[in-house]
Amino acid sequence: MKKFLSFLCTSSLLLALAACGQAPKTNEPIKIGFLGPLTGGAASYGNDTSNAAKMKVAEVNAAGGIDGRMVELIVEDSRCNSADAAAAMQKLVNVDGVVAIVGGQCSGETLGAAPVAEVAHVVLVSPVSSSPDVTTAGDFIFRVYPSDALKGVDMAAYMEKESYKKIAIISENTDYAIGIRNSLQAALPEGYAIVFDEVVDPDTKDFRSLITRLKKVKHDVFVSNPQSDSVLAPMIQQYREAGFTQPIVSQDIADSMNLLSLAPEAVEGMHMFNPSNMLGATAKAGERSFSEKYREQFGEAQSNMSFATLSYDAAGVILEAISTVGTDGDAIRDYLYGLTNYDGAAGGFHFDENGDVIGISNVLKMFKDGQIVEVTE
Amino acid sequence: MVQLFINGLIAGSLGALVAGGLALVYGVLGVFNLALGQMALIGGYSTWWLHQSLHLPLSISILGGLLVGALLAWLTFEIFVNPFYRRHRFLPLVTTIALSMILDGAILLLFQERPRSIVPGLKKMVQMGDARISMEQVGLILITFVLLASFAYVLHSTAFGRKIRAVVQHEHAAWSLGIPAHILHRLIFILSGVLAACGGIFLGIDQNLTPIFAFPLTIKAYAAIIAGGKGNFWGAILCAYLIAFLEQFVVGIHWFGLFYVPAGYQQSVALVFIIFFLLFKPSGLFVRSARAA
Repeated sequence: MKKFLSFLCTSSLLLALAACGQAPKTNEPIKIGFLGPLTGGAASYGNDTSNAAKMKVAEVNAAGGIDGRMVELIVEDSRCNSADAAAAMQKLVNVDGVVAIVGGQCSGETLGAAPVAEVAHVVLVSPVSSSPDVTTAGDFIFRVYPSDALKGVDMAAYMEKESYKKIAIISENTDYAIGIRNSLQAALPEGYAIVFDEVVDPDTKDFRSLITRLKKVKHDVFVSNPQSDSVLAPMIQQYREAGFTQPIVSQDIADSMNLLSLAPEAVEGMHMFNPSNMLGATAKAGERSFSEKYREQFGEAQSNMSFATLSYDAAGVILEAISTVGTDGDAIRDYLYGLTNYDGAAGGFHFDENGDVIGISNVLKMFKDGQIVEVTE
Repeated sequence: MVQLFINGLIAGSLGALVAGGLALVYGVLGVFNLALGQMALIGGYSTWWLHQSLHLPLSISILGGLLVGALLAWLTFEIFVNPFYRRHRFLPLVTTIALSMILDGAILLLFQERPRSIVPGLKKMVQMGDARISMEQVGLILITFVLLASFAYVLHSTAFGRKIRAVVQHEHAAWSLGIPAHILHRLIFILSGVLAACGGIFLGIDQNLTPIFAFPLTIKAYAAIIAGGKGNFWGAILCAYLIAFLEQFVVGIHWFGLFYVPAGYQQSVALVFIIFFLLFKPSGLFVRSARAA
């Protein structure tokens, strides 16, 4: 009797589930997932980006939702690594049944979640992942942050503009820095060359033997290409202490206020490429700017207001797609590839055939009088 | 060439400070202290805090950093080494690994992940021929030299030094002659902590301090004492300089126009060289072949 009862229970449960799958009630909320680091060293990124995504969802809901359905954001902690991101992604897709993802933030998260997204046909739009590998991570993977590979390309264009024909570069031996070095070398025009090209162990702080050898190499510009500012500071400091006066060019690692307390004289005049940190500061006509609204709700961004802005836009472009073509993953993907311009808080952008953003790009910044300023010409 | 030599002296002095203390501790106590890199960093970070946050003069901050180093070494000895090392000389290996993890966490909590520099900004460089060196670096090289010289004097020309050497040679025999070995142990351990703190402070002045730097410091010191002959103080010092010179001279130049060692191998090259040496002199470069039982 007991067995029969339990059989009855299970089968009715199964029936109920099946019914649920066949005919979703139209007033059920549309679920969107969020992946990002909420704990650990990168938690500040996750804090800002999840706040911004929540803000976008709340705005859409306040305006009546999508076709009368509310939007629900389900936030998962992927701890800035691919294993946790893959597990969180499985949960979002298979348990919660989300229709799209905002995230991940760290590149490792995006790359870890990508295979799951591909199999489940769930679109993933990363706000701030910068690894060149994200470009080829899959058909359903988009991002609104420029690829690191572009920094090397931008640097090469800058070398040409300034006629820095002989380039000396010291890179730290990490995927990120080597990627930038390779893209710089590939993008250099005719007549421009890397004349001094060294790769050092991660976390090296003594560059004196290299810099001594650099004295014998005539160069127009020095490219400092490390993975962390604790390596960048001694590198440029020892370069300047050796008496070199050539300009220094670097990438986003140099966009760090820490450097002012480590090497205040050596950083002065250094140029670097990184997306603007003024994204979201300009208001559209008749509206308040994103950063103003963000500060009102959450206070100052813990990491960078630009990251919050891009997360707000990643959520925004997903919700626009859903409101136009519905909740089918393939349709959302096709909509995003076909998009010609999304007018976001960070500016207008769309996606190329790899899902990489066009319209959000690096800007040239420099240290000037003890501050980081964006160079505008 | 002169510049490379100076570079080697700078890096070697840093290595010698840390390795010297380690060699003494190993020679006298037979104990490996794997928290040494962290102890060096804490000495450096304390100096940074005193100088940059409390704005004390540099000299007082350095004294404070050394004091913290001594205090930390003393606590380490009492809590993590003294209760264990007589039972088995490998027990402190485990306890100091635990300590190194605790200190890693403490450094992150107290001083955060971002790099810290005790004296930020460009150093005043002095031109010497075609070489350049900063006053701070001259200071470091000289201080290391003075420390080592006074050590040599104490170790070889005073009654106290004789006692230390007696304990190194045979602890129980020394004990039976009335030498208070346990007090010497404590003193030597504290001294190694002070020397390590010296290294950390120098690192913070010359470059900068980051929490992850502890382990590489420890490893290099171990390479020096093993290559120098375990427990051989002068061997360890010489090997610390040797490693530094190898790192400076071997990489980044074309050897006879034939082959080229990229900078990425800077650290490996020196260690490979030492392994090669040990193949021929297994008991250390500066030790006459050990008597086997």
